[in-house]
Amino acid sequence: MATESETLHQSRRFRLSHIKGKLFEAVLVVATLVGLVALVMLFGFMFVDAVSPGSASAEWYLLFFATLVGPMSAFTLYSRRHPAVRGANARASAAVFGGLALSLAAFVVLRAMSPYGPLTYVITVGGLPLSVVAYGRYTEETYFIGPAVVLATLLAIVWTLGSEVLLSPILDATFELGVQLLGGLPVLGSVPVPVDRGHTVTAIAVGVPTLVAASSLLRRRRSTDRLLVVLAVFALSTAGTTGLNGLLRPYLETVPAWMAYGGVIGTPVIGTLALVVSRRRGLRSGVVAAGAAVVGTALVAVVALTLSVDPRLLVVLSLGVGVPTVYVVGRTVLTDRDGQVGVVGPFVIIGGILLGAYIDQSLSVTGPDTWVTPTLLVESWDGLFPTEAGAYPSTVGSVMIVGLMALMAFPVGTGAAIYLEEYAPDSGWQGKLAGVIELNIANLAGVPSVVYGLLGLALFQNVLDFAPGLVFSASATLGFLILPIVIVSAQEALRSVPDSLREASYGMGASRWQTVRSVVLPEAVPGILTGTILALGRAIGETAPLIVIAVATATSSAPEGLFSSGAALPLRLFSASANFDPAYRTGVVAALAIVLLVLMLTMNAIAIIIRNRYQ
Amino acid sequence: MSQKDETGLSSLERSEFIRRKERLYRRLLAGCALLTIAVTVGIVLSLSGQALTFFESVSPVDFLTGQDWSPLSNEPSYGVLPLVSGTLVVVVGSAVVALPIGLGAAIYLSEYANPRVRAVVKPMLEILAGIPTVVYGYFALVYLTPILRNGFSLPVLPEFVTDPLPVVSEFTLVVPGLVPDINTFNALSASIVVGVMIIPMVSSISEDALSAVPDSLREAAYGLGSTKFDVSTKVVVPAATSGIVSSYVLALSRAIGETMIVVMAAGESPRIPTVPNVFDNFTESIETMTVAMVNIAQAESLGETVAYESMFAIGLTLFGLTLTMNYIAERISRRYREEY
Repeated sequence: MATESETLHQSRRFRLSHIKGKLFEAVLVVATLVGLVALVMLFGFMFVDAVSPGSASAEWYLLFFATLVGPMSAFTLYSRRHPAVRGANARASAAVFGGLALSLAAFVVLRAMSPYGPLTYVITVGGLPLSVVAYGRYTEETYFIGPAVVLATLLAIVWTLGSEVLLSPILDATFELGVQLLGGLPVLGSVPVPVDRGHTVTAIAVGVPTLVAASSLLRRRRSTDRLLVVLAVFALSTAGTTGLNGLLRPYLETVPAWMAYGGVIGTPVIGTLALVVSRRRGLRSGVVAAGAAVVGTALVAVVALTLSVDPRLLVVLSLGVGVPTVYVVGRTVLTDRDGQVGVVGPFVIIGGILLGAYIDQSLSVTGPDTWVTPTLLVESWDGLFPTEAGAYPSTVGSVMIVGLMALMAFPVGTGAAIYLEEYAPDSGWQGKLAGVIELNIANLAGVPSVVYGLLGLALFQNVLDFAPGLVFSASATLGFLILPIVIVSAQEALRSVPDSLREASYGMGASRWQTVRSVVLPEAVPGILTGTILALGRAIGETAPLIVIAVATATSSAPEGLFSSGAALPLRLFSASANFDPAYRTGVVAALAIVLLVLMLTMNAIAIIIRNRYQ
Repeated sequence: MSQKDETGLSSLERSEFIRRKERLYRRLLAGCALLTIAVTVGIVLSLSGQALTFFESVSPVDFLTGQDWSPLSNEPSYGVLPLVSGTLVVVVGSAVVALPIGLGAAIYLSEYANPRVRAVVKPMLEILAGIPTVVYGYFALVYLTPILRNGFSLPVLPEFVTDPLPVVSEFTLVVPGLVPDINTFNALSASIVVGVMIIPMVSSISEDALSAVPDSLREAAYGLGSTKFDVSTKVVVPAATSGIVSSYVLALSRAIGETMIVVMAAGESPRIPTVPNVFDNFTESIETMTVAMVNIAQAESLGETVAYESMFAIGLTLFGLTLTMNYIAERISRRYREEY
């Protein structure tokens, strides 16, 4: 009897605690769902308002299901079973869509800025390191080339930016002082001063490297001729760099616009192509590949010109999409027998969209009455007619700001992470310093973004005396903001490289830098890229620091250069959300929000894909 | 050098040039790392420099105890209390939303969810932290506030289904407005949205802390006859307390510094909270420290006025506050890292 009541008692207790456990689990599920429901609501409301999917006819859905969704899912299902096909598909998609996104971004920026300025920069900043690399390839010199490339890049950047930003106020002051001093002397005062600022810059730019070259030549006797050649390249290109407004620019401006576009996009694309091919198949194939790319693009331009179509966009697309696609597809088809079919992937998507749009046009099917239209990205803002309102200037501004920011934050962040993970010792004052730096990075990551805005405001407007709201100040401010994120993710990527690889490299007699460059970094690059792309995704939507450094919230003209006043997509969203006209409030603005969200999601997706592929 | 040549040691030693090259790279990389220190120093210098000139014209005591904030009016007054209390309102509101939900999600993901669910849900929750705050602000202003005021009705079936079948059109989900007298700009929708934004911070850092609790503890508890509920609430959560607390502190520090959501949804009327009717503070428009900064920054042709400098003074307060909170979180989480 006693035992029976005890088991009964126990089973009741058991049942109670069972119910309690189930209730607790239900509460936890609800808590988790709250976040997901919030996500769905956020996207759902804005998507319904921006795209109004209910206004499309059922035929429209059927049409795009038949041309796009159906083939795409069939292909995805097929490729999931074949890893080789999946890999080839991923590579081809990366080439096509990555190339498309980057070329469109580059085209938009070049169109806003006029391509001649960037062309001058590409030739000088890109030409300097490239010629050093080419020289190294040619002479099979390995001794000086590494540091020479780094120095050449740094020098070119410093001089190109510096001659415009940092140096000119100082030079102006010195120059005026010099003129006054000279004018004070009675004899010299009557002589017209033969130099202006451009010449002074050029003189310093040529003089300093030459002096450095001379001093190091005096100290070293060995391999002097090689060092001499490398330094001659320095001096020549630096002269070109700094005299860019005076010396190079007038000649470049006689070139037709499409060639300038081709030069800006083509130099990095064809340079990379030549390097990659020549590394795989020898110098000659590299030159042939580069030549073929140039000839192909020229053909596209010539055909466009004879048909009297504007060749600029076509040239950019041919270089930015055509060249990488042909390379990746060709290589996969030739070398990867199992995965060949995979290269069709991106073309299934593009073909589906084009075919669907064509049938849509010719049969005039009722599509959704959407606010997300091309107008949104190619037109300026219109305060009266919501259907005409677009955010073109802000889009260009965002592309410029985020692009320049990535160029600044990626190398610095990676460099800092390499120092902290690979170089900094554990003990001694340097170890302590590294500890302080790490703590500091953790704290910087938690500083509110408005405070970075105040830093940018104080640094660029009060100290450097820039005009308010420049593209450059915006990029640098956001660069400071994402630096801790980039560093921390790069550190994680470097940490995940196994030590055995490093030890093997040291065992073969490699130095620390050689180990980092050829063993650790190639392993860690996917991880570093993942972190950087996530940080870029965050920077695209960042608003508060831009308001604080006084980037205009509503502009009607796109920024014309890195040192003209900026604009950004989130700022347009901010200023337009105050509009009470429902066509704006829940129409155009919702579409802008969707564009921002899609950009952010795409970047996250790319980052996740890279991470999953390489881990 | 010549001696080493005789013993053949020189072949083992790197040449002077290579050593210099290595040193150059090392210094370049160290320079990158030191740049982060320069950023901090830059922040501190730029904030304190302007803030000091501000405190020359407004005494720190007036600044910290003043109850009126009107820097842009004709008779400016610089009391930071209304701004601090505005920030506090948003922080409390978002904490009510985010802390329990975040912890619940963390426990679910770490203890209950199977790996496949976790692999889907965790990245989806983390999307919430990556959404641009300006989009959140827009959502709070244009969608959430009207929903709180008027409720909403959602046709369960889309039109092209209901049109041919008129009987079905009755199915419309109607939710009544919960707060009918809410202001267009209000602290409530801003706090809710800030709370949603910081959910993933709480959930993912807490989940890491919960997952870091060794399985031996769980197994010991199961061995003593505990249920899953007991293991979760009486063993795992207490063992991960420091990690959870540190996630709370970090999330709240993020809420303090949040700007765009509050600027767009909570308005710009600095006020000291009313004490007996606490809920009224949420239905009215408020102004936080960050909003005050953005307002001053947006006022054009300001120059180097006292109002302009006051922006830096608030910035310094904000920076000090978040730095302290991050430091506390770091200390707490360091303690928990040592435990296992």
